[in-house]
Amino acid sequence: MTPRLTGVGAWLLYTITVLMMAFILAPLVVIVAMSVSDSYFVTFPPQGFTLRWYGQILQDRDFLEALRLSSLLAFGATAGALLLGVPAAIALTRGNFAGQALLKGLVLSPLIFPALVTGLALMQLLARFGWGDARINLLIGHIVVTSPYVIRSVTTSLMLIDINLEDAARTLGASRLRTFWRVTLPQIAPGVAAGALFAFMVSFDNYPVTMWLANSQYSPVPLVLMRQLVNVFDPSVPAMSTVIIILAVIGVLILERLVGLRRAAAM
Amino acid sequence: MRAGGDVATPPTVGLLGRIVNGRSSVALLIVPILLYLAVFFLYPAINLLFFSVLTQDAKGVIGQPFTLEHYAKFFDVGLYMRVFWNTLRISLVTSIFAILLGYPVAIVMVRSGPRIARAITLIVIAPLIVSVVVRSYGWQLILANSRTGLLNWMLMSLGITEAPLSILYSEMAVVIGSLHVFFPMMVLPLASALGKIDPNLEASARTLGAPWWKVFWRITLPLSVPGLVAGFTLVFSLTAGSFVTPVILGGTSATMLGNLIEQQIFVVYNWPFGAAIAVVLVFVVFGINTLSMRLLEGRRFRSIA
Repeated sequence: MTPRLTGVGAWLLYTITVLMMAFILAPLVVIVAMSVSDSYFVTFPPQGFTLRWYGQILQDRDFLEALRLSSLLAFGATAGALLLGVPAAIALTRGNFAGQALLKGLVLSPLIFPALVTGLALMQLLARFGWGDARINLLIGHIVVTSPYVIRSVTTSLMLIDINLEDAARTLGASRLRTFWRVTLPQIAPGVAAGALFAFMVSFDNYPVTMWLANSQYSPVPLVLMRQLVNVFDPSVPAMSTVIIILAVIGVLILERLVGLRRAAAM
Repeated sequence: MRAGGDVATPPTVGLLGRIVNGRSSVALLIVPILLYLAVFFLYPAINLLFFSVLTQDAKGVIGQPFTLEHYAKFFDVGLYMRVFWNTLRISLVTSIFAILLGYPVAIVMVRSGPRIARAITLIVIAPLIVSVVVRSYGWQLILANSRTGLLNWMLMSLGITEAPLSILYSEMAVVIGSLHVFFPMMVLPLASALGKIDPNLEASARTLGAPWWKVFWRITLPLSVPGLVAGFTLVFSLTAGSFVTPVILGGTSATMLGNLIEQQIFVVYNWPFGAAIAVVLVFVVFGINTLSMRLLEGRRFRSIA
């Protein structure tokens, strides 16, 4: 049993925690509140109640096009990250070869490498070899930054399951592929799903890589939002932001259902 | 029996043995991602390093001879050095606040009942997934400098201040925004490290009469150092490499290295100089990572000795 927190220390801990919870939620709550405010300029206190900004973004071709592009891009990046990441995670946990730690560090390195520099370096390479399609370039860059998330969560899952079950299946004559499909995969499914969801969300939200590889024809959501925010005054920005907040909340709820948040957080 | 043969294979010795043993085919599964990263991550990164020592002539043509002038320029010109120090200062201050505020949250998260722990985890993680652009925008609404900002409206309505405060477009605003964006990166590793500490250690210290702060200082803190170092490294690195938050909350008065790189490439078209600044940013991040690793290794060594 964990000891109950008591005394002055506990009082201090709970106060700071409550304040931090308010700090974390404040900007999100403010955005949602402003999204239904019936005033052209964003001011406090919010005035009136209206859903017209939501009506407006439903007709905003740029934003809808960006939503479509971002969703497709995130699906593609997730598929790519799974195709490359799941086998890599298996090799790292089930294989036995020289330089394993080094290779693990290498495949996870896009996590620590500044994403802004990853994007810039890739842009420079692509510019030199002829540009091609911006959508393909975005996909290439997004797979680089999302694959470590899949590798990390699948590796964690693989380390947690009982390897004897796989050995038993193999001893009973199942092929490697069959063993993976029937024994390993069902056990690591939550980890694979969590990795995929992380990859999807990271891709959907990515700014630092996207900013180098997108162009005026193909601009994903974060770029369109930033443009509306910095360059033009657009009163429907809070409504667009609220849509993104709602999508994120749905993502968190799915994650919670799939693996439980504590485990997802540990990944 | 063909299958399962490798299960009973005795451990082979030496490099050759490892390559040819039964499990070697599993190792091949890592090849696709290695090839992918070699082409689209490693090669471009090395290429960028190479780019940073090339010369660009007046017409914008980039080529040899090799030169270190871009680095010299970066470290000579006051404006660029100011951005460099801004970046280090903002990242350091953000990390320190994240540590000071992250510990209480992580402790409560780990030591509370399942319902409170779950609620805290949910609140800490949820914003992690909301776009950085959206979150920084939320802070822009709160910190706006006139009385139209939430904070100023509250302070002035309550009569705490007469005139609106100017927080937006300052380093403080960038620190607040970065703290919000990267706070989960501190809390999650801390909570995971704290979760591994045997609660009996703290309980017995309390029973023996140690005040709460002494229990924290002598037991909880030393045992959670791995989580602390991981959190610090993540928050510092991510803040140093950020772009969106300084643009939205810092304006022109709190430019960071990321903004300088973007400006050199997209506005000035000075590619080699932009590449050189990117290399400097990578070195800052790797420096912090190496330092943290050293710290952890040194600590392990001391505890053995």
